Formats: sequence, structure tokens, C-alpha cells
Amino acid sequence: MLFSLRELVQWLGFATFELFLHLGALLVFSVLVALRADLFVPGMSWWLVFVPLFAADGLSTYFTAIVSIRLYQENEKRLAVLRLLWVLTVLSLKLVCEVLLCQKLAEQEQARDLWFGLIVSPLFILLQLLMIRACRVN
Amino acid sequence: MRMSLAQRVLLTWIFSLIFLIMLVLKLDSKIYWNWFLVFLPVWTFDTILILMLVVKMAGRCKPGYDPRDGQQNLRRRVWYLVAILLKLGFCLTLCARLERLTDIWLSVVCVPLWAVLVGAMVELGYNVFHYRRD
Repeated sequence: MLFSLRELVQWLGFATFELFLHLGALLVFSVLVALRADLFVPGMSWWLVFVPLFAADGLSTYFTAIVSIRLYQENEKRLAVLRLLWVLTVLSLKLVCEVLLCQKLAEQEQARDLWFGLIVSPLFILLQLLMIRACRVN
Repeated sequence: MRMSLAQRVLLTWIFSLIFLIMLVLKLDSKIYWNWFLVFLPVWTFDTILILMLVVKMAGRCKPGYDPRDGQQNLRRRVWYLVAILLKLGFCLTLCARLERLTDIWLSVVCVPLWAVLVGAMVELGYNVFHYRRD
């Protein structure tokens, strides 16, 4: 649309397969959120609703670890370390945001002090990092 | 004239940042705006995207353009246009539900979003398969 797939892969630093994985996780997550909100499955915990997102993060980390090891073995050490660092940073920021949001939704009374500004703060950091990376890729 | 990657990223970045800030302020009850107003960056960004797509598609009407050149391109742009309209439909019904203008199920509200996600996954899958075959 605004970006070609090649530009997206270069900018975000994720492989096409990983993008596919995260899109699939988002689809399953949105289905579970809708089912939970419409009370089709009333007893479902919010932690269970977030499982697809956590699973996608885990699989993406595993995939990145394998790619980095392969790159390291092929003597592309700098590329391997840079890729590993970037993907782990992005995934950890995403994971922190997901865990905080899930905690807020699951324990609404106990997590009253957890305001949304704090929950979304990893996304603000991620946005700055993505902007810097876009300038480098450009 | 084609925008550079940095310009397109900047455009996306600015609208995402403004939307996130407005969303956080609304969720933390710091502002009491209408949900349709909170989604203003989304409406603006989608309008810009639609205008850009329509201008590109209108370029086919120029005299001397051979329609066989970009048959696949046109199909892809039509899909992008449909995707943006579906996303707009999702955001509009979501805002209407949040404002309690309607009482439809969230599962119904999410149908356009699911259609966009499935379409994007099919396109991504096709790209992976296409490149592998090449």
C-alpha cells in the first residue's frame, strides 16, 4: 500500500515469515477478544486471550535465534549480532506492553495504579526506534 | 512524484504518534472527547492513503496509456482500496459501539478487520511462495 513488502522487511528487520506469523497471531487474538467481550466464552481468562501474541513472540525469538546462529556460522558475525539485538529489542518492548495490558485487564481492581500511559510507553520507545531505523535504511 | 521511504515513514509515524497520545489520554480519562474525535488521525491518514491510491489509479486514464502494462498493478491497487475501506468500516463501527450509538456484537464489528487480516496474510503467503518458486 504505502510500503512495498521489501521496504517493510528492510525497515522492520523481520523476515516475511515472521510478519506472517505476527499477522496470524493478531487475527487469532482479535477473534478471542471478540468472543470474550461478547461473552460467548465467559470464563476465559485474559491471559488465555493473549496466548497467541505471546506464542508469536516466542516463535519469532526462536526463528531469529536460528537465523542468527546460521549467519554467525557463515562468518556474517556483525550482521548476526545486529539482527539478534534489533529483533530482541523490538520483541521485548512488544512483550512488556502486552503483559502490562493483560495485567490491567485481568486484575482491574488491583491494577488501578497502572495507567495506560505507562502501558503504552514501550510502544512510544518502539516508535522512536523505528523512526531512527527508517532514516538509516533510507 | 514518489515519496522517499523516510518521508512515508515520517507520515505514518506522525499519525501513529498523535493517535496513540490521544488514545492514552482518553483511556486515562484526561480528556473527555468523543471517540470519533480521538480517531481523527486515523480518518486523516486513511483519507490521504485513499487519495494517493485514487490519483495513481486515475493515471491509467491518461491518453496513450497501454492497459496491458499494469493489469496486475491495478488489481493490487483495487485490493488496497478495498482493504482501506474495510479498515475504515471497522473503525467507524468500533467508534459507534464505544459511543453506544449502536449495540451490535463486537464479533460483528470485527468482521471487516478479520477480512483485511486474512487478505494481508494471503498476500504475504503468495509473496513468499512466488519468490520461492522464482
